[in-house]
Order: sequence, then C-alpha cells, then structure tokens
Amino acid sequence: MDYKFVPSVCPYCGTGCGVLFEVIDGKLAGTLPNKTHPVNEGKLCIKGWNMHEYVNSFMRLKQPLVKSFGRFLKTDWDEAIRITADRFKEIVEKHGPDSIGVLVSAKITNEENYLAQKFARAVIGTNNVDHCARL
Amino acid sequence: MQAQVEQWLKEGTVDLFIGYKKIDGHVMPHFFTKEKIDEVKDLVAGQAHYSLEKIATKVAAEHPDMKIGILLARNCNQQALNVLTIWNQLNSDNIKTIDAFGDACPSEQAEDIAPYKQQNGLSKSMVPEDAEAFDQEQRFSRWMYEFSKCMKCYGCRNICPVCFCKECSLEHKDLVGTGNLPPEIPVFHLVRAVHMAGRCIDCGLCEEACPSDIPLRLLYRKVNEIVKDVYDYETGTSPDQSPFSVLGEKVVLETTKL
Repeated sequence: MDYKFVPSVCPYCGTGCGVLFEVIDGKLAGTLPNKTHPVNEGKLCIKGWNMHEYVNSFMRLKQPLVKSFGRFLKTDWDEAIRITADRFKEIVEKHGPDSIGVLVSAKITNEENYLAQKFARAVIGTNNVDHCARL
Repeated sequence: MQAQVEQWLKEGTVDLFIGYKKIDGHVMPHFFTKEKIDEVKDLVAGQAHYSLEKIATKVAAEHPDMKIGILLARNCNQQALNVLTIWNQLNSDNIKTIDAFGDACPSEQAEDIAPYKQQNGLSKSMVPEDAEAFDQEQRFSRWMYEFSKCMKCYGCRNICPVCFCKECSLEHKDLVGTGNLPPEIPVFHLVRAVHMAGRCIDCGLCEEACPSDIPLRLLYRKVNEIVKDVYDYETGTSPDQSPFSVLGEKVVLETTKL
C-alpha cells in the first residue's frame, strides 16, 4: 500500500506552476494543481493537467537510441555520447563550428542553460545559441 | 480530530484516512495510514480547497473493499460525498467522515472586478438574478465574452468532485468541435452545464481552477435552480438519483423529423 501526494513543479514551460502528483500503489495516477502555490494559485493549463500521462506513456524513451543504417538501435549513455561527440567533431572539421547551433529551453534549469551556452561557445566554438521561447 | 483519526487507524475502523498536512508551507492532501501513525499529529483542517472525496473515488476504484476515512472541510464536501454515494462511486459502508466545517465559502468573499469585465462580462460574485437583470442581447454578449476566453484546459471538469464519467461528452468530436481555440462556444460550456444539472453541488472548485476567470458557478447555479423548480430535486441533499438517471431510447446524433 503506497499512497501519497508529491509536490512538484510543472516541467512543461518556464512559468513554473506548482502541481501535486497523486501516487496510488506506487504508480502516478493523477495531477492536481497546487492550490496554495503563488505562481498558479490552483490553476493549470491542459498540458499541466495531463502531466502524469507522459510519465506512464509506452511511447516514452527510456534509454538512448542510435540510428544506424536507418534503424534505431538501443545503446547505453557512454556509447551514445561517444558517437555524438565523434559526429560533432566530423561536422566541425568539415563545415566549421558555425554549422552547429544549440537550442536551450525554459524547461531546464538556469544552470543547465548556462552549461549549454558554455558548451556551444567554449567546446564547439559558435555563438549560435537560441532559446525555445523565441522559436 | 487527531485523536479520533489515530484511534480509527489503530482500531482498524479505517485503513486509510485522507486529510490535510502542511508540507513546505503548503496545506495539501495527505494519506494517513496505520504504518505511519506518527504523522497523524500533523493533521490539519486545511484552508486549501481540494476535493478529498474525488481522491477517495480513485482509491476505491483500485481497492473496492478498503475502508476510507475522509476529512470534510466544508458543507459542500458532504454534499459531494452524498452525490458520489448516490451514483455508486463510493460505498457508504466503507466511508467514515470527520466534519471540520467552519471554512468560509469563497463565494461569500468580496471580489475586485476589472473595469473591462464589469462592462463586458459577468462576475463570479453575481447570483443568477443579477445576470438576468441584463436584457437578453446584453446577457448573450456578456456570456459569449466570458466563454471566448476559454482555453480548453478541461480544468473545470478535472477538478469537479462529481465528474466521474469514463467517456466525457466534452471530448466527443461529434458533440463539440475540435481543433480550435476557444473551443466551439457556447456549445462546449453548455454541454457541461447540462451535465451539471442534478449533479453540481455548488462547491465552486471549477471557478477556482479556471485560468480564464469564467463565472462557471453562476451558470451551474442557474441550471440547478431549474432542476429544483421543475423536478423539486435538491442536488446534494436529496437521497435519490437525479431525475436525469433514466436512460431513454438509443441516442442518435442524426437529426430526426419532429
């Protein structure tokens, strides 16, 4: 028997609405708006209301996949990152660093956004950094 | 209150008690169990309005025999519980309640209304008679203004303690058109209003959850006034199902000749 409410913050956009996840028998069963949260004051949009659905979705990616010869193959993170790095290196050498752009997001934290721009500028060597709110 | 809950959990009168607990400064619903009996001392009556009855129906759907205790913070919680029991969503033998009434109803609180809304819309603090004071044309345009703000979040339905249908008419593409915002108005809101007849217990959670500030409660109050006048049925306090419980002939969506 495992019943609980877990307070959290909606990951969909940068607003940061407070939500309560309803956990019944260890499974995410529903989402409620946090009535006393100063940001959303008990209100949610349609995406927030249905947040529990994507957590349990069978379509959800649970491990990295690498496309090889037109098919997606399951792999581990080390392998996936190695392949990505190799491809980045190839592209930068062949077409120059400005052929790569980095898109960051309101869904991730301030610190992660900082790391992403650092990665773009210091590692890849491009100023092509943009944000999902401007797309 | 805490002593009563502790006793119930220890004696096994209830397997689970749904009440409120303050976590990180927020009063939020919490499940109290025998295994974590120490938590009962943190039980609070709660100024936040959640539908604990609706949460209970979700638990009852998974475990039909579980005995559930529910904290009722407002009179409308009791009425919602009655409606859910009448419509077989909860078994009254398995439900124990504690009344902790005393929380003021949000409809009794004064509201600041923006000038634009005052001129073009309808406010939450109105009663049906206030809205009927406008002439028909005014009333229609004011309602359409309110409905046009709808962003189809389904919050009113999701939060509603007495909404439990597995298939919702609001998601039926033949009844309510899809693909546009605002949704097909006024059909979207009127479909819901009709379904609230004989169901709505006037708790106001729909209005609280509405991001667009639509005075839904006013609409459902009017609908239920009609139910009371025509059928003499008092939603939430009458012991029987509403007059809309009889299934008629097979429903077809094609128009038929009268």
